[in-house]
Amino acid sequence: MNARRALREIGIGALAIALMAFILGPILWLGAHAFATSWTFPRLSADGWTTHWWHEVFADSALAGAIRTSLLITPVVVLISAVICLPAAYAIGRHSFPGRRLFLIGMFAANAFPKIGLFASLAALFYAMNLMGTVIGIVIVQLLGTIVFMTWIPASAFAAVPRSLEEAARDAGASRLTVFRTITLRLAMPSILVAVIMSFLASFDEAQGSYLVGAPNIYTMPTEMYALVENYPIQVAAVFSILLSVPSVILIGLARQHIIGGRLAEGFQIR
Amino acid sequence: MTEGTTTMADTTPGLRLAALTKSLGGRRIVDSLALDVHPGEMLALLGPSGCGKTTTLRMIAGFLSPDAGRVEIAGRDVTALGPERRPSAMVFQQYALWPHMTVFRNVAYPLRVRGVDRHEITRRVDEVLALVHLTHHRDSRPAQISGGEQQRVALARALVQQPDLLLLDEPLSNLDAKLRVQVREEIRTLQRSLGITTIIVTHDQDEALSISDRIAVMHDGRIEQVSTPSELYARPATEFVAQFVGSVNSYEGVLRDGAVRPGPGTIAIRPEHIEFRLEARDGALPAVVRSVVPRGHFHEVVLEREDVTLRAYMTGRIPDEGTRGWARVQQALRYRDGHLQEVVEGQA
Amino acid sequence: MLLIIGFIGFPIALSLALTLGFTGGLNQIIALIGQGIRPADHWWGTMAGYQALFSDPRFNGDLQQTIIVTVVSTIVVLVLSLAIALIVRLHRGRIAQLLGAIIVVPMFVPVVISAWAIHTFYGGDGFVRSVAALLGLQAPTLTSTMWAVIIGSVWTSLPFASLLVTSGMQSIPDALIDAARDAGAPMSRIVRTIMLPLASTQLIIATTFTSIGILGSFTIPYFLGSNQPTMLGVEISNFLNAYNRPQQAVAMAFVIFVFAAGIAIAYVRANLRGSATEARA
Repeated sequence: MNARRALREIGIGALAIALMAFILGPILWLGAHAFATSWTFPRLSADGWTTHWWHEVFADSALAGAIRTSLLITPVVVLISAVICLPAAYAIGRHSFPGRRLFLIGMFAANAFPKIGLFASLAALFYAMNLMGTVIGIVIVQLLGTIVFMTWIPASAFAAVPRSLEEAARDAGASRLTVFRTITLRLAMPSILVAVIMSFLASFDEAQGSYLVGAPNIYTMPTEMYALVENYPIQVAAVFSILLSVPSVILIGLARQHIIGGRLAEGFQIR
Repeated sequence: MTEGTTTMADTTPGLRLAALTKSLGGRRIVDSLALDVHPGEMLALLGPSGCGKTTTLRMIAGFLSPDAGRVEIAGRDVTALGPERRPSAMVFQQYALWPHMTVFRNVAYPLRVRGVDRHEITRRVDEVLALVHLTHHRDSRPAQISGGEQQRVALARALVQQPDLLLLDEPLSNLDAKLRVQVREEIRTLQRSLGITTIIVTHDQDEALSISDRIAVMHDGRIEQVSTPSELYARPATEFVAQFVGSVNSYEGVLRDGAVRPGPGTIAIRPEHIEFRLEARDGALPAVVRSVVPRGHFHEVVLEREDVTLRAYMTGRIPDEGTRGWARVQQALRYRDGHLQEVVEGQA
Repeated sequence: MLLIIGFIGFPIALSLALTLGFTGGLNQIIALIGQGIRPADHWWGTMAGYQALFSDPRFNGDLQQTIIVTVVSTIVVLVLSLAIALIVRLHRGRIAQLLGAIIVVPMFVPVVISAWAIHTFYGGDGFVRSVAALLGLQAPTLTSTMWAVIIGSVWTSLPFASLLVTSGMQSIPDALIDAARDAGAPMSRIVRTIMLPLASTQLIIATTFTSIGILGSFTIPYFLGSNQPTMLGVEISNFLNAYNRPQQAVAMAFVIFVFAAGIAIAYVRANLRGSATEARA
């Protein structure tokens, strides 16, 4: 009995370690390349270590420009997304109106439509409206990817705020607006924060659509990656990858407990 | 409708409901309800679930607007006002404390939204927290304190508004039995000393009987009776009240020579008004003890007589099952068409 | 809200019109510059665009690969996320905690980087082949094969699926598991008869999101896959940009959409069932 138990423990441990290696291996391997002078197959360590590639990236105007573009566009996208979607999320979460469920299903269906196909048809629209190669075009394209996050997660959070908490505030003398501001919004805030972070990442990482709409005029960091992979040494791509991951890593720190707390999972259920 | 205490008749009622009516989902929940609550009085709205008491309370608080009728608080018609503009404060059933605020901030909220000066807020909140003995939990979050303490925070949040009318929605239903008695007494003491007109909604007759000055029993959207607790128990105006408040043996027929005989109307006999002894006497009929169930400080004894089977509450020496003796009805309530005709007293 | 509908719904409707051969209105410009457009010949349009697509062996190869990759990856993701969920739910040791934290990492790594990291890891002079070579073995180069695409898809889909499944498993009360244990059921049976059914809604949601995501993926097959056959996501982009055949590109998107819609229906059903059970409870 004890031997079997020990064996099971070892099995579980091995499986867990294998999974972690599977997840972390590629990232660490790529990360190591960012500081390597060169790499000889089949060595497991670089020939030498350097920060040369970092200087190269920051000195390259195209690369630095892409970083700036990304950092500029993404917050705008998230902001617009929040302004458009949060009222809708509140309506969906709080009111039942005819077609509410249809709307949810429709949105899900639209989300099931392959993005690249959506971009293809958007491209048609953008040609007609002269939005190809413009910042507005990219903003719209990136906006599309954020809508699902920005609507569903907050909607379920709004729905989860107990009515009695709002009524207690009304009874205490607060107007509807004050109740929304001080009670409803506050209680939904962690989920909204998660939605904002997910939207930020979705927008920041969006490549296909931005490439289609933006190239060759405007490059964001991810679309620049496509070019990098083909035209630069692997170490530059590695450096750029690390830079591209920085916002994500910062946001993990902010959002970890909420996301792991299952808020995300809850957000994706139609009620 | 109201009775007793005529001395209050010339003063403005603390709360007046006039012809209050509300239908929800095609069903009439509250049906032209009228009620006067005296200033400083604690009135219990008692009834089974679904009787309309919660709907009534929500109309008083302003969360529901009535289809017809009026709500007046301290002489002022507030029917058209939203909950935030009514001089009433409510303690919610689940307390409805805001989890993202400390105890202090929860209690301070009503004053903050009214734009009260900061020092004034601190003074008044600390005062009311001292009143409910929660000063040591001033900076705790609702999740960190016990159910009884949460209840007191909810009460403090209502009291800090210095309301003309305090509304308690099943305030004790989430507490365990022992705490319930304690909190109930605290609420009563506090309400008395502050002299706030108070409505307490409950489905628990013990709670209603022990805490309130008067009780309004609701049934099917109407008020069946408004009386003091002892009056309500001694003279239940309708059959429903008799059955809902306390416990009764209820039979079709009339009481003749101490026996239930066929006849028009209904006879209701409280279990404590049945006397069982071994010896025969006036008005007593032969009876056999069928079962004995201990119920704490008394025993529930089922007695079989030739006319009816009676449930009796007995204290002192309890007979064994199968004992033969004589059972007598000391007092009975006689109803015609559901309404009280008379209280029939047996011979002492 | 209308804005949202307009944003997504309108382009889709417009492109549906294009695949059916309606070349007027806002579709005019793309129809003008695109090649191989089959114009409408009925009042409802034409199926010629779709017919051409399905008679193209290249498309059929792509479709086949897309389906294989989607099915295989989804199964692997499900199995792994179940394993993770069970470890986190039942084991609760240090290692389970660490696993739970590590597993979400790919969620925060941009897809482009994931693809590139996996490319360098499993590529010709990558880590896997380096280790094998040091051990004196000759490992295959996985990049530019379907296998790399599957690995990449699993890597990127795993966090979301395992988060969902784990939260499903975590929400099962201990009492239910203890009761089954008390009844003498072995762990394997408890997992099968108690835990899986109770987490079924989350499992179905995880399945749908994973498969739909992989079905329409672009970046992973673009970096990791072979040129021919490739997945439809890449092919759509090829047809749109390289070959300038927008009608076929969009038609392919609709083919993917039909598959995705099938999966989506299963999802909606699962959700409705989920909320129905809750309503009854």
